[in-house]
Amino acid sequence: MRETTALVFGYNDYTFEIVKNISLYYENIQIFKLDEDDKVIQNSKYKISQFDLSDNWDDLKSGVDIEECVAFCVLEDMAENIFLTISLRDAFKDLKIVALAKDKESEEKLLLAGASRVLPTMQTTANIIVEMLEKPIVSKVLHNILYEKSDLKIAQIRIDNSEKFNKEYPVDIDWGKEYGVIVLSVLREDMGIEFIYSSKAKHHQIKEGDIFVVVGYEHDIKEFEKLIGGQI
Amino acid sequence: MLKRLLVDIAYYISTSKKYAKTKRFFYNLLENSNDKYKRMFDLFMIALIFASVIILIREVKLHVNDGLLFFNDYVISIIFLIEYLLRFWISSSVTEIIIKQSEHDLMLGDEFRAAKAFKKILQAKLKYVFSIKAIVDLLAIIPFFHQLRLFILFRVFKLFRYAKSIQTFASVIAAKKFEFFTLFIFASIIVFVSSVLIYVMEANNPASAVNTFFEAIYWSIVTISTVGYGDITPVTEAGRIVSMFVIIAGIAVFSFTTSLVVTAFTEKLDEIKDIKLIDDIENMKNFYLICGYEDISKEVSKKLIQNNKVVILEEDQEKASQAKKDGFFVLNYAPGSIESYKKLKINIQEQVKAILCLSHSDVENVYTALTIRSFNKDVFILSILKNRVNTNKLFFAGVNELLYEKELTGMIAKGFVGQPVAFELIHALRSSYNGVDMQEIFVNERILDSFTTVGSLKCKKYRILLLGIFKKNEEEFCFNPSESIALELGDYLLTIGNTQFIKEFSNSLYKKGD
Repeated sequence: MRETTALVFGYNDYTFEIVKNISLYYENIQIFKLDEDDKVIQNSKYKISQFDLSDNWDDLKSGVDIEECVAFCVLEDMAENIFLTISLRDAFKDLKIVALAKDKESEEKLLLAGASRVLPTMQTTANIIVEMLEKPIVSKVLHNILYEKSDLKIAQIRIDNSEKFNKEYPVDIDWGKEYGVIVLSVLREDMGIEFIYSSKAKHHQIKEGDIFVVVGYEHDIKEFEKLIGGQI
Repeated sequence: MLKRLLVDIAYYISTSKKYAKTKRFFYNLLENSNDKYKRMFDLFMIALIFASVIILIREVKLHVNDGLLFFNDYVISIIFLIEYLLRFWISSSVTEIIIKQSEHDLMLGDEFRAAKAFKKILQAKLKYVFSIKAIVDLLAIIPFFHQLRLFILFRVFKLFRYAKSIQTFASVIAAKKFEFFTLFIFASIIVFVSSVLIYVMEANNPASAVNTFFEAIYWSIVTISTVGYGDITPVTEAGRIVSMFVIIAGIAVFSFTTSLVVTAFTEKLDEIKDIKLIDDIENMKNFYLICGYEDISKEVSKKLIQNNKVVILEEDQEKASQAKKDGFFVLNYAPGSIESYKKLKINIQEQVKAILCLSHSDVENVYTALTIRSFNKDVFILSILKNRVNTNKLFFAGVNELLYEKELTGMIAKGFVGQPVAFELIHALRSSYNGVDMQEIFVNERILDSFTTVGSLKCKKYRILLLGIFKKNEEEFCFNPSESIALELGDYLLTIGNTQFIKEFSNSLYKKGD
């Protein structure tokens, strides 16, 4: 089930950037400001509530359907962020929690605390700086693809119509020539995500339910979707 | 009339390009440690000094042929004389002193005072002549005949000029000159007093070996230095009491000297290391200069060091020590100070690949970028941005690329919620997770000799994906190029695959060119 509500814990610059970027994906976004935080609340189109680090989540439970929520823990103090994550996980076993980690140590602790995903800011920034210096063209192209700054897009497409491929192997098909897209990798329940030329992916026939990660122009991706299944 | 002629000649010489070029050449050769010929020159002079010493040692017991003696007494001496004269010439500028004096007098409306100019010239030249180095140089010129054998010492002392480690040692000792002087005075008084006492006590005793005052001084020095040859020993009771005092004083002098040298080295150790580091950096090429050593710069440095050389400038001593412990070339200098770059003695344009301003303060990054731009307009500067409101300030300061960490976090969040699998894949590609990597291969003439179209590359054979070609001429990315697309000089092939396979593919492109 796709979540419809985003709960963003923390009121800072990270919050603004995250909210700006995820607003397209959620019908409802609620921001929670830590009681101790002295940052002045500015005019916002989103609801901003107060919260503290005690274990009382009754207000939250009464206000939203937790099953339809994703929580973003973006407190700048890593100790508080970890405490918040563990507190949310303790209260809500199935809640999807995305947490901000400023360093590797916090990343590991957040995962132990029950975060479903971690946003490793420092690692990613460092990777991108190195990429910009060492592989400027790669950096530019990836940036444009990922953040939709060019006509090229990256998409996840699930195979609903495997008969079309007649038990072929993904590596044997010239995707670029036939469909105008490049298949980077295949995700399967039994093997996880594998690069298309990896030995595991090479020996698996295309089956229904496989998820392909493809790069291509928007209209080519749409055509490809129509032909084989649907975009996730 | 004569004065006018003198000033005219001074102006003529100082504006002569040939004269300036020649003087600069000799200055660089003799004094500029960055000059490429200086090292060769120093080695040549060291070789001459050793040749001189070897000839002298051989001459003590064996016959040395006349040719070698001539070489030693005249050729080497003449070379040393030429060097001395050149150093005398470059030590100060005569023409500059004359011109300065003339302009000074002209400004005051006076007639040119040649006598004052000559006085200044004399002072400048005498200052050089009476410097320790110049005296050693002068004495080393004297050919050492048997009577002047001790003059070889001055040739050996000349080594101080050419061996950097000896200069470092001398500078360490010089830093404690007051303490050493005090120690010298103390030791001298002990030697003098004990020499007098032992002479008075022992000289008239027929059983004693002390017969002259020189022997008394010799005995004192041998005893105070804790060497104690035993060739001269006191025989009277009073003489032995004096000995006991001298022995105790000797221990004090010896331990004081040792502790002084050790302390001097400990205090100067960081400075010595920095000097060595600056020398190493001076010879480095294509390195990254990272300003600030905090969280992000730690990660960036660790990644860059795998395939590059990295130099870190960090003002905070604690952070600089941490960076040293982490194994980087670190200088405890302020990145925002122009002095730091002067001390570095590097040609930023030629030696530095890029400068990274990675301090966690926009103020410091702006300051560093402005400092760098004040003396270099072209070097690539990348900076991180901590607060969006400072974007324009950093660009205005001359930063070429900015990276706003918080915006990046927002984009990552978008990727995570929008297309988690695709995003994870790209994240994995970026960090070469699972050995799969994305690489750019530059198309050069060698590759073009054998591969003219995309089809001829045979990417599938190497199990790599060709995502596209960045066409240099059109400045655009050509995604999923068809086999007939022609490769052009300056293009970049963007490949995705196992790191090892990409390497093999890349090698095959070059090999075919053989």
